[in-house]
Amino acid sequence: MRVLIVEDEPRLAENIARSLRESAGYAVDIAADGQEGLFLAESNAYDVVLLDLMLPHMDGMQMLTRLRQSGQHTPVLVLTARDDKESVVALLNAGADDYLTKPFDLGELLARTKVLIRRGKGQPSPVLTIGDLELNTVNRTVQRAGRPISLTAMEYRVLEYLAHRPRAVVSKTELLEHLYDYNWEKFSNVIEVYISGLRRKLDDGSARQLIHTVRGQGYILQE
Amino acid sequence: MQNSIRGRLIATVVLSQTLLAAGLLFAGVYYTHRRLLMTLDAGMQARAMSVAALVRYTEDASGNVYFDNTLMPQSLDPSHPDLFAVWTQRSGLLTRSGNWPSGLEIPPTGARYWDFAWHDIPYRALRATQLPVLDREEGKSFQPQTLTIVYASPMVRMEEQVREAGIFIALASFGLLVATVLLALWGIGRGLRPLQQLAGQAALVSADNWQLRVPKHAEQMEELRPLTQSMTTMLARLERSFIQQREFMGNAAHELKTPVAVLKSTLQSLLQRPRTSEEYQAGLEHSLEDLERLEQLLQWMLRLARAEQWAHGALRRDLQVIDLNTTCEEAVERIRNLAEVRHTQIHLSTNGPVPLRADPEDLQLVWTNLLENAIRYSPEDAAVEVAVGRTGDGRARVVVEDHGPGIAAADLPHVFERFYRGDPSRTRATGGFGLGLAIAKALVEAYGGSITADRTPGQGTQMTVELPARDR
Repeated sequence: MRVLIVEDEPRLAENIARSLRESAGYAVDIAADGQEGLFLAESNAYDVVLLDLMLPHMDGMQMLTRLRQSGQHTPVLVLTARDDKESVVALLNAGADDYLTKPFDLGELLARTKVLIRRGKGQPSPVLTIGDLELNTVNRTVQRAGRPISLTAMEYRVLEYLAHRPRAVVSKTELLEHLYDYNWEKFSNVIEVYISGLRRKLDDGSARQLIHTVRGQGYILQE
Repeated sequence: MQNSIRGRLIATVVLSQTLLAAGLLFAGVYYTHRRLLMTLDAGMQARAMSVAALVRYTEDASGNVYFDNTLMPQSLDPSHPDLFAVWTQRSGLLTRSGNWPSGLEIPPTGARYWDFAWHDIPYRALRATQLPVLDREEGKSFQPQTLTIVYASPMVRMEEQVREAGIFIALASFGLLVATVLLALWGIGRGLRPLQQLAGQAALVSADNWQLRVPKHAEQMEELRPLTQSMTTMLARLERSFIQQREFMGNAAHELKTPVAVLKSTLQSLLQRPRTSEEYQAGLEHSLEDLERLEQLLQWMLRLARAEQWAHGALRRDLQVIDLNTTCEEAVERIRNLAEVRHTQIHLSTNGPVPLRADPEDLQLVWTNLLENAIRYSPEDAAVEVAVGRTGDGRARVVVEDHGPGIAAADLPHVFERFYRGDPSRTRATGGFGLGLAIAKALVEAYGGSITADRTPGQGTQMTVELPARDR
């Protein structure tokens, strides 16, 4: 998963980014103002945008409106210092999906981010099931037919993304875009390595294969 | 009773009515007593004369007299008969009534009337002297005799009448008192009703509704007009400061939340997993920096709160007459460190002493805030000019001018607002909180002065402060 943080307080942005990287294994980009944020959000594929409201050059509300006008439906979680009714209503009406008031709890921020990612991909439950495969996004564990499977961090991230979009063809580029931050090109040759590792661990002892290759297009996770 | 207007008014009414009744009673009783006494005296005089008329000369030529008792009239009060005694000049006691008290003391001559009691019955006595014997036949050759008559009547009936009059006046006064109190109660109740209506309306005033609807009756009432007027102006004042306070609270909360959010996120992410000691060290250093920034913000906010309290409060400290130039020199001295770091030259130009009444600390704070602002928004190696002088009409004037990019025209009307910063992104670069100019304004206005900001695009900003000064 890939997250964009638009926040002008560099230390706060860095702390959120560190938390998302370490606790959820997400790829994180940071924009320090509204203009940069809008540019990044429009040119990259993010699974969720964390948006501060008080921003230089273009404030969060303007950026949100512009983002929605351009047809982007990436979930947006707004970070705001104002929690009065009027500002919250204005935020939600401008197209925000959720909001957190400063100072917030990093754990809550992480949980709400996960909820928005899930909902953005049409997954209602935090436990994703494909056949006899179970992926728990809360404590990041994987089971197949009740048997726990131990994955490396990168293998988990690949599987998590695929599991959020079951039965859909996911291209290598899409995977790279959502698993790495902006300098993802240099990792382009490693996806095959993770896929083969995953196949080995998931299908070990099972009759049916879960990850399929669609030649020339990408990968698909289905029974 | 003591703490109620109604109680006090009723007490006043009762007291004045009682005094009036007592006075009336006294006057009534005194007057009745006097009139009755005069009547009694006149009656006694007439009766003494009729007693004198009963003294006759004997038939012979001796000139002796006798008292003809047969014609003595009946006493007015048969249960307490009148007393009398007659003396002749020649032979002493001629006669006296049968009930004449044996030991009755007759006062020495001179007193015409006197009172005495006999058998506990009060009497009033009259002594008439030198009365001629009325029975005086023509042709008699002897020396005519003169009489002294003492006549006394009981005062029982008179006292009864006085008492009756007293009781009548007292009862009538009491009846009037009761009627007056009832009338006063009703009148006071009616009179206080507009006050109650006003209180009812005043109770509806709250933080959400500052409008006081003054009831019609209360508005028309002359005595209530000062109250309603001062309530209305007080509410308007309160509303203004309440709204200001609420805005300040909102802004302050917002300003405080961001550094707290940073601090909290730093500590939480530090605790997320075990870290190396270098990471802990870095995290703690960052936290300390954020905490210091928070502390600075709090200090600025307290300074602003004090300045505004000082500006709003009527409390005037004992102010000394000081020289404006000195405060500017000291402010320049204080800001020297910052100026050196930014390589800014500060030029101070003065034009003779400008005395004014102020606390030098307050003015120095104003100048340092203006200078700090000017230095922060100037490019490095630029100059800041401070000019101290007087306006045409003799007010003190200080102009602080920088050669920075100048404040944007859109920001100009807002620069003195609390927490206002033209460009939020500049905040962290320059380290300001947007409070310095607000503090300067609050202090300048507290001294009855004014502060204005002007810009020359591309050339800089001028901050002009004018203060009431004293003549040289």
